[in-house]
Amino acid sequence: MVRPSRARNLDPDGAAMTTLPATSKAATMLLTEPPAPVGALSRRALLAACGATAFLAFTFGGLACASAQGTDAASVFVDQTGRALIAAVNGNGSTAQKKQALQAIIDRDVDVADIARFCLGRFWRVATPQQQQQYTALFHEVLVNNITGKVGEYKGVTFALSRSAPRGSDTAVSTIVTRPGNAPSRVDWLVVNGAGSPKIADVIAEGTSLRLTQRDDYSAFLARNNNDIQALIEAMRRQMAQPS
Amino acid sequence: MRWLKFLPIAGAISIALGLGACATAPNASDAGAIADYRETNDPLEPTNRVFYAINNGLDTVLLRPLAVAYRYAVPQVIRTHAHDVLANLDSPVLLANDMMQGKPRRAGDTLMRFLVNSTVGVAGIFDVATDLGWPAHDTDFGVTLALWGLPSGPFLFLPVLGPTNPRDATGFGVDIALDPLTYVGKGTVVTALDYTRFGLSAIDQRAAVLDELDRIKEGALDPYATFRSLARQHRESEIQDTRDDDRATVPAWFARPAPATSTRTAPR
Repeated sequence: MVRPSRARNLDPDGAAMTTLPATSKAATMLLTEPPAPVGALSRRALLAACGATAFLAFTFGGLACASAQGTDAASVFVDQTGRALIAAVNGNGSTAQKKQALQAIIDRDVDVADIARFCLGRFWRVATPQQQQQYTALFHEVLVNNITGKVGEYKGVTFALSRSAPRGSDTAVSTIVTRPGNAPSRVDWLVVNGAGSPKIADVIAEGTSLRLTQRDDYSAFLARNNNDIQALIEAMRRQMAQPS
Repeated sequence: MRWLKFLPIAGAISIALGLGACATAPNASDAGAIADYRETNDPLEPTNRVFYAINNGLDTVLLRPLAVAYRYAVPQVIRTHAHDVLANLDSPVLLANDMMQGKPRRAGDTLMRFLVNSTVGVAGIFDVATDLGWPAHDTDFGVTLALWGLPSGPFLFLPVLGPTNPRDATGFGVDIALDPLTYVGKGTVVTALDYTRFGLSAIDQRAAVLDELDRIKEGALDPYATFRSLARQHRESEIQDTRDDDRATVPAWFARPAPATSTRTAPR
């Protein structure tokens, strides 16, 4: 019934790997770089190699320092964004005003384009530039709709910052979110330090990643629709057209 | 007669494994599709989707309305205490699993919770223990098996049980065997109480995720795939959290402080 060799693919490190495709791919590429021919390993090459190692160690040391600062900055960023979100939800404007405020925060602090690309997975490269554009625009709408749809539910929510830790080149910031009448739940925020300002790349609620779940949904949909990206775009469009 | 309610599950497992309607593996030339197929690890997908449809239908006509009614008719305070009573009844199974997982601090929490809540907390109606420093946690034999190194096996969607896998379905059966209440007496009253407990805990659990499930079903293009993904991620994080829970067992009143360098990372 249980075949360890195959099942091991997924359990439990496999999933962790799928959440970090960029870094693991880079690592594999580094490792599979063709080795230099043995004869070329002269004394000079050896020296150069030593120099390179020292240089690498230096750079990585510097990087480690930078990322320690990065985790602090990421915590501050998540704290600010979280406060802004809660202020928007608990404000005393109309629902439409609240949605507008939330949309502004999403546009400013969430890396929507990057999440959209991640969620399309391997199909991103197959899509035509026009499809990519249509899809990203729709994805933005879906995401905003999903978040603003919860305005009513999230009244009275509080959160507390917990530890933060570097994850690859990004930072994962943990928070404990408490909703009235519910047990406190752990929500992790993946913060990327892109061009200039930090941005949220993923939200992991009780161990379930938003973007990974979304990607699995889309890839299952595509698999059942002949891998037709246009079908996905149409389905998303229909979803947005529904009154909710 | 408790075992009666597991007939459908046993039946479902044997049907799922016996019929063996297998998903057709994608064309070998499409590397991306092959990788997706492996990653999904759902070779029984067609059968699983049938059971998902059945479960979803039952949920729509039976369990969800019951949960909505429960939340509507019963005040929050009573629902909370009902949940506490049900949770307290699970303590013996929880304790057994904590011990088999080699998690003494968790086992201590469970034991103290059971002793305090069953007495001071009046048969578990009041959760006094949490405030006294013995927080609640949840676990089961599926987690125990995972910590023992058993892989999950392929994804399964079973009636009643929902999204699971051979390891966790086995764990579910073992947990029932571990429950002392499984072996308590015979007669109409006991049977009635048994079914009440089973029914109430189903409604209690369903009511807790009412809004979330509604929203997932609404927002997903392929709800089955979305639940598969969520169930798997959630399970893996639950197992990881248990693995990482290496709190010291030295009581707070013990003079010698725990060494400061106890930031040991759990072996993976």
